[in-house]
Amino acid sequence: MIKKVLIILLFVLLGLSLYSVVKYNTFGEDKTVVARHYIDYGMKETGSQNIVTAVVVLYRGFDTLGEVTVLFLAATALGALLHGLRFKSKEKEPSSLIVSTAARYIFPLIILFGTYVFVHGHLTPGGGFPGGVIIASAFLLLFLAYTQKEVSEKTLSLTEGTAGILYVITGLLGLVMLNSFLANFLPKGIPGKLLSAGIIPLIYILIGFKVGAEMTGVLRNLKEEEK
Amino acid sequence: MWNMIFGEILILIGVIFLFLGSLGVFRMPDVYNRLQAGTKCTTLGAFSTIVGVGIIEPSWFLKSLVIAFFLLLTNPVAAHAIGRASYKMGVKLTEKSVVDQYGEEKDE
Repeated sequence: MIKKVLIILLFVLLGLSLYSVVKYNTFGEDKTVVARHYIDYGMKETGSQNIVTAVVVLYRGFDTLGEVTVLFLAATALGALLHGLRFKSKEKEPSSLIVSTAARYIFPLIILFGTYVFVHGHLTPGGGFPGGVIIASAFLLLFLAYTQKEVSEKTLSLTEGTAGILYVITGLLGLVMLNSFLANFLPKGIPGKLLSAGIIPLIYILIGFKVGAEMTGVLRNLKEEEK
Repeated sequence: MWNMIFGEILILIGVIFLFLGSLGVFRMPDVYNRLQAGTKCTTLGAFSTIVGVGIIEPSWFLKSLVIAFFLLLTNPVAAHAIGRASYKMGVKLTEKSVVDQYGEEKDE
């Protein structure tokens, strides 16, 4: 009984807090100064057609570097945790001919799509993180269709490490050339063109590689292994 | 004008198939029949709807064809994998089934 009352009370409080948020911040009006600035000057200042990307990579680029680090730590921790316990896996049954044949044709298409998503991050919705996850899903298909298939851990960590170091180097170049870490030191170009928005495509390509390698590593670790 | 009518007819066919497909998912007795209803109808339903949209808006035609091609490539394979996995997991066929060729082939 008391539990139910508490739950109801909790919902009422939640509703009230949501109501107050909605009441004082009407949708579509009275943006904060920062939001106004992003919308009004975002495209002019960064050359990126996609304002979300401009915010993620340039205005708050430091946060994104942090996010990439968090993802890296999470993937590493998972690997460390699973390393201790090797489950005795059931006998693996090979996938059927239909699945393995289809996987052979679909795999490159998924890779192509993932690459498209992270290369066009400054033009269309998407970017490095979704692009990387799409690429990892291609590897998941590979793991499912070909149970014997292995992706070497060395390749994965090499890709991941190189992309991470290049990201930091790009940031440091900005620091050297424009006195600000992760500053946009490349020409902005014409918004809407593939080669525009300065370092955004560059960074998103690196993030795409890094996230793709990390998530593939996670999948690889989760795949039951028996040594 | 004609492309408008033709496209709308295609979309209508697609919608009818999608409706029948979702009805089949509710009405069919076991996993395999439901899978069959779900996949066959959604493959054709989605295919027809997408191509219909492409015909109404000619500048999207090529793009819609590519989307439809990918659906055609992936949807049946996914359904096949689900069906095979449930058979291997030991999901029973409905009692009314008259033939189980996959099981017969495996026993031989």
